Amino acid sequence: MKSYPKILSKNFEVPHAQHIGVYLSGGGYEAARKVYTSWKPEQLIEEVKKSNLRGLGGAGFSTGMKWAFIPKDSTRPHYVVVNADEGEPGTFKDRYILCKDPHALVEGILIACFAVGSHKAFVYIRGEYVEPIRIFREAVREAHEKGFLGKNVFGTGYEVEIVIHQGAGAYICGEETALLESLEGKKGFPRLKPPFPAVKGVFGCPTVINNVETLACLPPIVNLGAEWFAKLGCEKNGGTRLYSVSGHVNRPGLYELPLGTPLREIIEEHAGGVWKGRQLKAVIPGGISASILRSDEVDIKMDFNSLARVGSMLGSAGVVVMDETTCMVTTLLVAARFFAHESCGQCSPCREGTGWVLKMIERIYEGHGRSQDLDNLLDIGKNMMGNTICAFGDAAPTPVISYITKFRAEFEYHVRHGKCDLEDRSQKSE
Amino acid sequence: MQAKFQMSSELKTELDKIVSQYETKQAALLPVLNLAQEKYGSISPEIESWVADYLQLPLMKVREVVSFYTLFHAEQKGKHHFQMCRNMSCMLRGCEEMIEYLKERLKLEDGQTSQDRCFSLSTVECLAACEMAPMMQLNDRYVGPLTKESIDQILKEIEINN
Amino acid sequence: MPILKIDGKDIEVPVGTSIIEAAKKAGIEIPHYCYHPGLSVAGNCRMCLVEVEKFPKLQISCYTPVTEGMVVHTQSERVKDAQQAVLEFLLVNHPLDCPVCDQSGECELQNYYMKYGLYDSRLMEDKVKKHKAVSIGPTVMLDGERCVLCSRCVRFCDEVTHTHEMGIVNRGDRAEIEVAPGKEVDNDYSGNVVDICPVGALTDKDFRFKCRVWFLAQTPSVCPGCSRGCNIEIHWNKERPYQTPGERVMRLKPRFNADVNKFWICDEGRYNYHWIDQGRLLKPMQKRRGVPHEVSWEEAFGTLSGLFLRPQEMGVIVSTDMTNGDLAMAQQLFVSELKVKNVAYQWIRKSGKEDELLMKADKTPNTRGAQALGFEDRSGEIYEQIEKGQIKILFLFGHNLMEILGKDQAEKMRSHLETLVILGPHAHEGINLADWALPSAVYAEKNGTFTNFEGRVQKISKAFPPMGMAKSEREILKEMARQAGIHINLTV
Ligand SMILES: Cc1cc2nc3c(=O)[nH]c(=O)nc-3n(C[C@H](O)[C@H](O)[C@H](O)COP(=O)(O)O)c2cc1C
Ligand code: SF4
Ligand code: SF4
Ligand code: FES
Ligand code: FES
Repeated sequence: MKSYPKILSKNFEVPHAQHIGVYLSGGGYEAARKVYTSWKPEQLIEEVKKSNLRGLGGAGFSTGMKWAFIPKDSTRPHYVVVNADEGEPGTFKDRYILCKDPHALVEGILIACFAVGSHKAFVYIRGEYVEPIRIFREAVREAHEKGFLGKNVFGTGYEVEIVIHQGAGAYICGEETALLESLEGKKGFPRLKPPFPAVKGVFGCPTVINNVETLACLPPIVNLGAEWFAKLGCEKNGGTRLYSVSGHVNRPGLYELPLGTPLREIIEEHAGGVWKGRQLKAVIPGGISASILRSDEVDIKMDFNSLARVGSMLGSAGVVVMDETTCMVTTLLVAARFFAHESCGQCSPCREGTGWVLKMIERIYEGHGRSQDLDNLLDIGKNMMGNTICAFGDAAPTPVISYITKFRAEFEYHVRHGKCDLEDRSQKSE
Repeated sequence: MQAKFQMSSELKTELDKIVSQYETKQAALLPVLNLAQEKYGSISPEIESWVADYLQLPLMKVREVVSFYTLFHAEQKGKHHFQMCRNMSCMLRGCEEMIEYLKERLKLEDGQTSQDRCFSLSTVECLAACEMAPMMQLNDRYVGPLTKESIDQILKEIEINN
Repeated sequence: MPILKIDGKDIEVPVGTSIIEAAKKAGIEIPHYCYHPGLSVAGNCRMCLVEVEKFPKLQISCYTPVTEGMVVHTQSERVKDAQQAVLEFLLVNHPLDCPVCDQSGECELQNYYMKYGLYDSRLMEDKVKKHKAVSIGPTVMLDGERCVLCSRCVRFCDEVTHTHEMGIVNRGDRAEIEVAPGKEVDNDYSGNVVDICPVGALTDKDFRFKCRVWFLAQTPSVCPGCSRGCNIEIHWNKERPYQTPGERVMRLKPRFNADVNKFWICDEGRYNYHWIDQGRLLKPMQKRRGVPHEVSWEEAFGTLSGLFLRPQEMGVIVSTDMTNGDLAMAQQLFVSELKVKNVAYQWIRKSGKEDELLMKADKTPNTRGAQALGFEDRSGEIYEQIEKGQIKILFLFGHNLMEILGKDQAEKMRSHLETLVILGPHAHEGINLADWALPSAVYAEKNGTFTNFEGRVQKISKAFPPMGMAKSEREILKEMARQAGIHINLTV
């Protein structure tokens, strides 16, 4: 098996790495110290731009660019908000960072705060993460004790406080403006944009929102340089990624690999291949919101640009593998149920569309499909897309459109016969 | 008329500390509700109005929030709350069977709590632990991959500890 | 000011104007549900999508500000498809109960469906069940299934009245409007939520099932309920003959005026109309030997004009409910022509509820108008002079002495008078004191103006003819004067 440098996961196997002593002995907080004592914010932003670090929460937006949008002359406080809502089905990377290397996140936050002139960071962690919250809280306490947080960071007189904010069960709060609303004590209704958070974020102040994994990339970028980081990945996609691999593979788990690693390599080599000696049928490459790929489409590089080119996305790098026995009607039912459950309910197309689509798929699943259902589903999906306040409205119909389009025959069989052709096939072979 | 709800004074001190971390009182709403639920087991209408008064919010703003987030519930859950993930990766690795098995063992349907308030069973969306699929959250703990045997084991341990 | 093109028309509007407002200015209607110019922008219904050149996606016109050189299309195929799609989504869970819905005829779902919808229905799944016919306040009913969740009502309670009674609970297609437990939509402006609800989800108990909207005629007017003078529309039933005892006015609705009341009126004003057709004085009456007799206007004018020979013994008390035209006539006749000394207005209902938004303490519409015409609040002096026997003839406009002075005092006052003439629309108890009771028209029955507390002169229009034989005060006085050989030509 090919092996690659471990950047983000280097401490995952180190015992007690969540304790500051262990983290420090591995050179921890050196990057933050260097930045605070000898760098200028502009220099840091330039460096991060050069590193080709892209947001790892899903959208893949250049982190350095995002920081540069923060107004320089604003008199209001600036905030850093950390997105640890990790709700994209198929994704579990941020949990590993929070639990196994929480100080990497604290250090990343310190660096981000310095870059954008912020003295306070809110870390929004999904409510179910009781254990990760406990571990991260302890890390923050330790960093405070050492003087890395608080009123006098590294003796520079610069103040940084971290507030941990526990969510309460809503996927939509991963969307950055819904997250801000939630942070302000409201329902997670995504905001109309513009204004973007960089101009008007939490409490109406300039705000940078970054994902946990994105921030964890910062210490290595500072320590080893932007060019080194950029070279780890591929063109315009710097660094490595934590690929969450799950589903029908022999070794489900989290794999740190460079951006641009071929999907087939991830499945077959790192995750141990499809389980039970079965054939691959389909893969979701970037969380449930990404278009599905058929087995003949997996010879693709896992980076933002390559996947966008084939109409899918790298998103959160949640790789969900499906073997030949998988019923696509069932998978679509699961996806549709999820989106209907999680729509915030603001926009008419998304609110009504998600519920409507679910009912239709349930009906097909139960064997009462009608011949026009599939075209109707595609049309309804198309009508939702691009016409809503937030990208959830684009994500929700993506499984509908991509599963039906790519596995049309299977859906048609189900509609016509009221059951799965896989059931038939397995019965015949028995 | 029900007696007006009184928050315990230690909890009140803790809540005050939370509120002081935020720029606005409203921003403390989720953490305050989380803590209140942890302490009292549910968000009753009385707690809702107490929190509204405490944070100087219109009651409706608290209602909206409580109803929006799935982790807040008005009814008390059982001592052991089984939250079975039913999303994609868990489905692919057989959560349906595990859910059916647990329903049978606990004699509960999805969303129900046993008479003696010992068990609750819910199905939930992805808990971001798909590498341990099929998995569940048992109170605060993530458990997986589940098999019928591991479920038996868990139930046995609960029985012993009771 | 940026110049942009909407559907080929050049439009110039101030910086920051939204496309929807710019289009409105050019006479182009863009369909919308959640947008309301009196509220913040929610952008949730997605009905107002338009195509803006150089933008890959359709844009919501309620939120997108115009820029110089922008080119907008509101009628393109893409826009029409999107509008149809949104309508279809909104109907997914909408009940098919238009025939029994009170909003039928003024429902924007129904209207837009006719205009932009009309596709083959493929809505065959079961609809989500929500709360139906719930009373959510003293005047408002909610049907959750008809709601399109535009959040206008919620924003109204949050932003206009700051009372925050309403909210949207749950999420996804389970979301619905709710009122906080134990609370009601019971603010001083609750009726407005019914006006702004674009569908039949919120209805007014006062109007429910009273009249199909297509039987209604609309007349612009001004609320006589207080000195704010909110602009209103009188909605009246054109099917019902006005002579019948039934009510003609079916409801009052706010009419937009940027400077006075914006889009709103208070509930006090809104439900302040049942008196219009109740207990009306229908014919001129003369008391003969203590018993009221019906007389013709000619008889009344003939006899009463004789009183004009004794102006020194005369007192006149007008009311601030009268229009400027009626007051000016009284002023001309009694002050300028007859030189009556004792002319005043009696200021009643002057200390009601007042707030920051619209309601004023003075619950009469034309105090400023009366003052501008030189009337003063000196009715007390007039009563004194009556008691001293210096005034023997009193012309009383609209007032009820029993209410003002109390029964005993009013009767005593009466006993000092030789002739009491009361002009008023209603046959209240105090009318029995009069020697002459002359039926006058209410504001909805006449043209004229009121001057609000800021001095703004505002027009009211006649919705329907006066009930029975009633006439406006102005006509009555003019005719009486003519009989006395006095010709008054007013241009007010
Ligand atoms: C529906 C939806 C859900 C999202 N969920 C998450 C999430 O759980 N975690 C996350 O980091 N970003 C999530 N995002 C992306 C965020 O909106 C945002 O782009 C990200 O937090 C920015 O951080 P980054 O630039 O470091 O990636 C979500 C976006 C959408 C539209
Ligand atoms: S697209 Fe869906 S999730 Fe996003 S704001 Fe609209 S209703 Fe909410
Ligand atoms: S009740 Fe009417 S105004 Fe309120 S959200 Fe529903 S449709 Fe909109
Ligand atoms: S699908 Fe079950 S934890 Fe992600
Ligand atoms: S009117 Fe513009 S989105 Fe509703």
